[in-house]
Amino acid sequence: MNSNMNRREFLKKSATVAAGTALGPCFLRQAQAASRDRVTIFHSSVADSINPYNHSSSPIYGNWQHVIEPLVDFDGGRKDYIPVLAESWQFQGNKWVLKLRKGVKFHNGATFTSKDVVFSVEKMRDEKGGSLQASNFTDVSEIQTPDEYTVVFVTKQPNAVFLDRLNNRFMLSKEAGDKFGDKIYENLIGTGPYKFVSYQRGGNLVFTRNDNYWGGKADIKEVIFKKVTEDAARIAALESGQADFINNVPDHEVARLKKHPRVRIDQLEGLRMFFLAINFTFKPWDNKLVRQAANYAVDAPAIVRNIFDGIGYPCNGPVGANVLGADPKLKRYPYNPQKSKELLAQAGYPNGLDIQFYYSPGRYPKDREVCQVVAAQMAKGGFRVELISQEWALFWDRQGVNGGRLPFYYIGRGGLTDADTLYDQYFRTGTTKRTNYSNPEYDKVIDEQQKTPDSKKRIQLLQQAGKILMDEAVFIPLYNLADIYGVAKNLEWKKRADEKVKAWDMKIKA
Amino acid sequence: MISIRHLKLWVGGAILALLVVCGVAAPLIAPRDPQAQTLEDRLRPPRWTDNGMPAYFLGTDNLGRDMLSRIVYGSRISLMVGAATVIFAGIVGCTLGAIAGYFGSTADEIVSKISEIFLAFPFLLIAIAIMAFLGQGVGNLIMALMLSRWVQYCRVVRGEVLSLKERDFITAAKALGARDAYVIFRHVIPNTVASVTVIATFGMAIVIITEASLSFLGLGVPVHIPTWGSMLAEGRSYINRAPWLTIFPGLAIFITVFGINLLGDGLRDIFDPKLRRQR
Repeated sequence: MNSNMNRREFLKKSATVAAGTALGPCFLRQAQAASRDRVTIFHSSVADSINPYNHSSSPIYGNWQHVIEPLVDFDGGRKDYIPVLAESWQFQGNKWVLKLRKGVKFHNGATFTSKDVVFSVEKMRDEKGGSLQASNFTDVSEIQTPDEYTVVFVTKQPNAVFLDRLNNRFMLSKEAGDKFGDKIYENLIGTGPYKFVSYQRGGNLVFTRNDNYWGGKADIKEVIFKKVTEDAARIAALESGQADFINNVPDHEVARLKKHPRVRIDQLEGLRMFFLAINFTFKPWDNKLVRQAANYAVDAPAIVRNIFDGIGYPCNGPVGANVLGADPKLKRYPYNPQKSKELLAQAGYPNGLDIQFYYSPGRYPKDREVCQVVAAQMAKGGFRVELISQEWALFWDRQGVNGGRLPFYYIGRGGLTDADTLYDQYFRTGTTKRTNYSNPEYDKVIDEQQKTPDSKKRIQLLQQAGKILMDEAVFIPLYNLADIYGVAKNLEWKKRADEKVKAWDMKIKA
Repeated sequence: MISIRHLKLWVGGAILALLVVCGVAAPLIAPRDPQAQTLEDRLRPPRWTDNGMPAYFLGTDNLGRDMLSRIVYGSRISLMVGAATVIFAGIVGCTLGAIAGYFGSTADEIVSKISEIFLAFPFLLIAIAIMAFLGQGVGNLIMALMLSRWVQYCRVVRGEVLSLKERDFITAAKALGARDAYVIFRHVIPNTVASVTVIATFGMAIVIITEASLSFLGLGVPVHIPTWGSMLAEGRSYINRAPWLTIFPGLAIFITVFGINLLGDGLRDIFDPKLRRQR
């Protein structure tokens, strides 16, 4: 700046600058309000790394799926798998034979073939290279490519749920891999409806439309994902027109936002199921009477009604009604603190029982409030609850849940579309140490179910497993919450329960 | 005769006294059990507003607990943590400071280096690290705060002692054959009381705010114990719908810190050597 500038000049210049700073964003905002060409999405969870395999989180799968695509996708509405890059598939003993879609071009012009599948799976198995998705292929012993459009996955044992492992496994271009080597992720080439433009650390992703997409051109030209973790900041951005689409609107803001002229609220039943997990190695939780007492003592519907303003879905059984394998005949234990006290007395605790209850504050919506209410409810049922909060890393790690160190805790299982995921992960002997529940009869049902290709029969087996969980009161199912989105009024999209946001499903109304 | 500076002392003292009464007699003053939840009555506004209920003078919080009772009980934690931290940090800091100043040389080097290390850390960060490491609890909280507060006392006392030990009455005591410990506790430390009192009062205000900050961050005392900081944190997300959840605990912190600062100001005016000389 000119050092000879006099005071008057300085004041004039600063006033101009100040006015520019103040007014600039106004113009910018107007330009950005859900235009035909661009959609801005403020999300609490956006890719933290440029490596698209460096995570295992549903919303982030949704990010990358704009550019790179899976072989199969899961249709939450039909509760079945739908073809994407694979056209058809067959389950033959310990083999899965997939026929690939023909005539699919990558963004660099190369044709998609079975070589690309082998290359991509290699990348996903590369844990040293940063992939967190390798475990999906642990039971795959070999991948065969009899021809350009056929891929055969050979598994160690017959695996009826292998399509679930293939869901969200995205395909890269081998040609781009050969060309860019280590820099492949900076030059991400896929077959998707959008092309990769840029990525900034801290979660700022930009995609632009792929006009030659095999599945038909998308409506919106440019997509921006921005990571904003603070609820209030996302809401303010939506209200001001800076963002066209936000996730996780807190339920107590819903009523206010519904009145906003620019905003629409879309809500649907989420796929994250919340429950209280019990670890069987801790006495007296191995006593069925104590577990039943705990089930009677917790009033999940009251929590949904009061804490979540009724925007939630209490579980009637071991999984939510929207999950494959849910059993409409099962009922949750009704709230009955008196019965809880009686059962505790029968179990040998007529004067009540001291328990420790763990949770990690800030991880889930209103978890502090929920756990305080649970503690108070259980107190009425004869439990003296010590509520212990832990930092997430400690809570989830080998010192905590995954080392089998916590006796009783509040947890949510996300992306739950198939009851098998929960039943295997939490309750089958030896899969994890999260509950240390071991029941040979139950394990047998789970094993059989995983080998059964016929989905009707599988559902029956899952229902059978669910009944064992309820009869034995193995855990305390609570509720599914609603996924609540705030959307610009002129933006249409297909609501989905899997927390993915897909811009190619969006349209701007005139 | 009431001068302005005495007014500060009296007003500050009165506020603090009121809070102490509040904390000590909390079970008598609070109209309800601060932890009793009535979910059906959650988020009731204060009594004097349209939807207020006579039963809840300051309204209820997000779990239907009585705000007034929680604020009354919250004063216990704030005052207890504040006082305990100031006392323990004072004892540790003064003793180390006196030793460093009185003996000089190696002792001084060691104590000064340790206190410099502590000073180099951001104060809140030490407290957060300790709480994350040791886990929640009132005892741990006091320890964390003490570890980050003792340095101030140490530095001030050391400085005072450095000048005190050259004074004639110390030399006289030594000449009469007094042992070091006797000299330190009988002659040196009593002469630092004025400055330590002033630091202690201001320090207490800082500690109360830090306790609130840590509780706000979820690192303070366990969640079921009502504290002003955790009430603020829990009420924050309801600020549009139920502002009384944050206004009242915020006011409580403000009034307490204001009162203690007034008291400290008043004490400093009295102890200030310049003002003393004018008398």
